[in-house]
Amino acid sequence: MTKYGQSFLIGLQSNLVYRWNFGVRSIFWFFHLLVVYILWGAAYAGSPAIGGYSFAQTLTYFVVVFVLQFFIGAFNEDYQISEDIRNGLINQFLLKPINYYAYRLSVFTAARVVSGAFGVLALLVALPFFHHYLALPPEGWRLALGLPAMVLTALIQFSIAYCFGLLAFWFLDIQGFVILSMAVETLLGGQIVPLDLLPPGVFQVVRFLPFFYQAYFPAAILTGRQGFDFALQGLAIQAAWAFLLVGLAEFVWRRGLKHHTAAGG
Amino acid sequence: MSTLAHYSRIWLASARYSLVRATMFRGDLFIWASVELLWIFVNVTMVGVIYSHTALVAGWSLYQMLLLVGTSMLIQRFLMGFFWSGIFEMGRNVRSGLFDFVLAQPGDPLFMASTRKLELDGLLNAVVAAGLVAYSAHKLGLHPGVGDLALYAAMVACGVVIHYSALVMAMSLAFWITSSQGVEGSYFTLMEFSRLPREAFKGVASFVFVWLLPVVVVSNAPARAILRGFQASWALGLCAATVAWLFLAVFLFRRGLRRYTSASS
Repeated sequence: MTKYGQSFLIGLQSNLVYRWNFGVRSIFWFFHLLVVYILWGAAYAGSPAIGGYSFAQTLTYFVVVFVLQFFIGAFNEDYQISEDIRNGLINQFLLKPINYYAYRLSVFTAARVVSGAFGVLALLVALPFFHHYLALPPEGWRLALGLPAMVLTALIQFSIAYCFGLLAFWFLDIQGFVILSMAVETLLGGQIVPLDLLPPGVFQVVRFLPFFYQAYFPAAILTGRQGFDFALQGLAIQAAWAFLLVGLAEFVWRRGLKHHTAAGG
Repeated sequence: MSTLAHYSRIWLASARYSLVRATMFRGDLFIWASVELLWIFVNVTMVGVIYSHTALVAGWSLYQMLLLVGTSMLIQRFLMGFFWSGIFEMGRNVRSGLFDFVLAQPGDPLFMASTRKLELDGLLNAVVAAGLVAYSAHKLGLHPGVGDLALYAAMVACGVVIHYSALVMAMSLAFWITSSQGVEGSYFTLMEFSRLPREAFKGVASFVFVWLLPVVVVSNAPARAILRGFQASWALGLCAATVAWLFLAVFLFRRGLRRYTSASS
């Protein structure tokens, strides 16, 4: 456990070096929020409620989704892992009693602590402009179920990024795959529209996909878009996906190692 | 005239090289073409979901909005197809010293740097974006004449020049700050504003994104030319913005170039 604790501390230090990157990302976040505000504000100008939700509820949903991404989203872990493989840095982990998944997860956790701090900072800057429009529900159970949902979301996001990073065992350049998956995750994860606004039939299909649990699910619990029963069912499905994806990550790692050639002295 | 012929020959040679390269890496071409296609689908889906709950957004109907989104995508795809790779590499090459190779080539450095590579996937998806515009115009019952189409094409070209200029300016910062990290993100964030109708912008947002930064005008002006015919104020505004932004980009690039110290000892 100590070695992964050390990895976490090193990850914390190295991510603090890139604090400006997170700062720049916070500025983009503010502009994203502005786009959401302008677009949805114009959409709501013609109708007081969309899908049964007020403008404040929808804006709150997007704010929570964006802030959650700072805390639990996988940003460039796939790229870092693929670089380890491409550059041969992965070899040092093969010679040591270190589980690469656990090592990367500890570095990912450290990175999210740093980016989460920037997310809070960005939120504090945005609050004076948007606080009139924020509407969080008061029920305590939402936080009690929302927090484990967030942890499982982080695990799902990380495991998917990890699997994509491991594709570097087979492909020279994985950027195309990563951005392809990003488009799917953006749409089916509920980052551009709340998924409950999709046609009911589509929503019923999408809720069984892992992408549903990458952003929409914890945000929907925390912002009151889904009730208690739905949240409980969702947590069970989410836990199953997390378990499956961790297993898939291990499987891809083992298969990838069979392809790997460690060269050099 | 001989100068024009000289640069045409250089551009054709670069285009030929890019096409050969693209056909050598067909899998890569397929992945990246799919990526761009999927992002077009993501944006169209977002619009579709919003309009399934409301009839108008800022006074624009579904197909008017799709025409706007298609126009914005068309401009972006042309930029990606013709200039993106070259300009994007410029920042990195200035930092590493590889920009020396561009300076040693027989032509204007800005031209040589920005037209080095043609991305076929971007150009293929320009056809998809143009299809979206044509489909939306058909659904709106529009029958633009040759003059309207020529005006639309000229305005799209102006939009490409404005985006090109903005990217060149952003990348030219590498001459001063030796790092242009985050520029890609800032470009795509600003592009999000260009998919919104002008009428959605009010107050400070209107001043910044319509007048100060022409991100809204570049897409709204051509879309309006198809929807409402020639409007002198929009056409003149777009022309003025094109000239001003191109002038600023060339000026900034040349000032930056004076600071370039090369990689050799």
